[in-house]
Amino acid sequence: MRDVETRPKKGEWIIVFTILFASLPLILGFALLVISSFSKDMVTNLSLSSFRPTIENWINVFQGKLAITGGIRQNILKITLNTLVVALGVSGIVTLISTLAGYSLSRMKFRGRKLMMLLLLMLHAFPGVALIVGVYLLYRLTFPQEPSFVRLYSFFYVILARAALEIPMSVWLMKGFFDTIPWELEWSGIIDGASRIKVWRQIMLPLIKPGILAVALFGFLAGWQDLIYVRTFLIDQTLATFIEANIEAEYSHMPLIAAAGTLYLLPTIIFFLTAQQLLLQSYSGGIKG
Amino acid sequence: MKGEKLRNLSFFLSPMIIMVGLFYLIPLVFTVYISFTKMRNWNIERYLTEIVGFYNYQRLFHMFQHDPLMRTVLLTTIIFVGITLIINVFGGLLLALGTFFINESSASAIRLLWLLPRMSPIAVYSLVWYYFFHGSNIGTLNSILMKLGVLSQPVPWGQIVPWGAWGIIIFVNGLVGVSFGMIVFTSALNQIPKELVIAARVDGASAWQISRKILVPMMKWHLLYVLTWQFLSLLTTYPHLFLLVQWDLVSRDYGTTLALYVYNTAFGRGEQDQGLAAAAAVLLSIIGIIGGLVTLKVLQFEKMIHEPRGDIE
Repeated sequence: MRDVETRPKKGEWIIVFTILFASLPLILGFALLVISSFSKDMVTNLSLSSFRPTIENWINVFQGKLAITGGIRQNILKITLNTLVVALGVSGIVTLISTLAGYSLSRMKFRGRKLMMLLLLMLHAFPGVALIVGVYLLYRLTFPQEPSFVRLYSFFYVILARAALEIPMSVWLMKGFFDTIPWELEWSGIIDGASRIKVWRQIMLPLIKPGILAVALFGFLAGWQDLIYVRTFLIDQTLATFIEANIEAEYSHMPLIAAAGTLYLLPTIIFFLTAQQLLLQSYSGGIKG
Repeated sequence: MKGEKLRNLSFFLSPMIIMVGLFYLIPLVFTVYISFTKMRNWNIERYLTEIVGFYNYQRLFHMFQHDPLMRTVLLTTIIFVGITLIINVFGGLLLALGTFFINESSASAIRLLWLLPRMSPIAVYSLVWYYFFHGSNIGTLNSILMKLGVLSQPVPWGQIVPWGAWGIIIFVNGLVGVSFGMIVFTSALNQIPKELVIAARVDGASAWQISRKILVPMMKWHLLYVLTWQFLSLLTTYPHLFLLVQWDLVSRDYGTTLALYVYNTAFGRGEQDQGLAAAAAVLLSIIGIIGGLVTLKVLQFEKMIHEPRGDIE
């Protein structure tokens, strides 16, 4: 319903064709990566002779065989699991904190509320690189003495630190979702003598489910794709650091890295297909890039 | 009543306040502090208490003036931010306008396609461009151009300084940023009353005339918003650049912006100099804070903050 009724059909094809032509590198690049993951050699030079179909790469990925010769092994399932732990952790923390803070910023009057919201916007614009030196010092100062806790601690820390980066935006997003709920719904609850916390939990949370889902998805993707924080803080490897390290390594078999990359891309694609409307809508809330 | 309200507020707000304190305020203080110490190679035991005053800042300004490498970094930052900003704003505008004039299903497919760079993991995204711009004949761009007969030899694109390296970093980051403009402009376009467009259409206006005379003038606020916001983001973004430089796809000297310089100086290979990195980070934060304040003032963000509803005290 935009200007459908009066729009000439003829011009439409020209626009679609122009945009698709401009998107060609994008389509080509991603398509070649996925195709290479099913080939014996990398298919990057557009010649069909280099495409020799096989699913060996995928089998090797799951078995963790990094090179065809030499028997270098790495447990990719464990690396994927590490990535998943970080992503789910970030998602959980971001969702919890923004559902709490978003409610009070949307519904409660208190001194400093306006200032708090402006500060959150400022924090979102704040250069992450200016923080990371300080975040690392805090990490080192709070490092556990007990060596057996160190790995666990690095997971704990990277999840919290990465989640913190997402909080300003998701609190704003969540506040926006709460703003759309008619307040009569909770008002009746408050009149009946329910506390704010009870109203939040029993009336608001069920109504705000799409918002929670959106924030949780964004949190998951942020944690899933992060490179800099996991590289700096996490002792174990994730898919991001695995790819980072193996591009230059001489023993690595590149189609296998392509398969690992495709595996890494999968959740993004799945979210794309299942939640596209949600993604497009909530992205207009304000993002960084 | 007062006590209960305080209890409620702290229930709702304290987790956020703790996180912001731990991961924004304390690190900021730490960064400023480190910029006054001799910290290097993260040797905390030795250097944490060794205060050197403004020595790191003096060193930084001396490098700005005399070190050719640092001048390259500054020049790269200016070119990178400037050109990518233009691409992001105009690319986003063109995509939003383009998808406005076509049917909804093609439009949403195109929007999803252009969200892919932003949504895909940085490592995968960089891997894609690593092969696309690779300097040998396995590189996709090289092989296309050689098949078309434009080139007879593969060209190491990222090592052609300055414009080859700059071209790649601008291209790769430009694609990520375009989607931001696209989404903001699309939502702005959807808020414009349809009657305006339909009336112009009936009068025989073309898509180009409608865009220029009606749609773009009505999106002034959004243009300004995307411009300032993307400026701040580009100034401080570095993860994509990090991998392109790390993998030697682009020249180290002409692929490093100030933000990446800070990261590599603090955490990179070889000798790390956190004191210097922190000083540069403080400079970046000052620019960021000023830029953020200007954005808030110019765009009057305060108007976005309505009084809360549903409070019955």
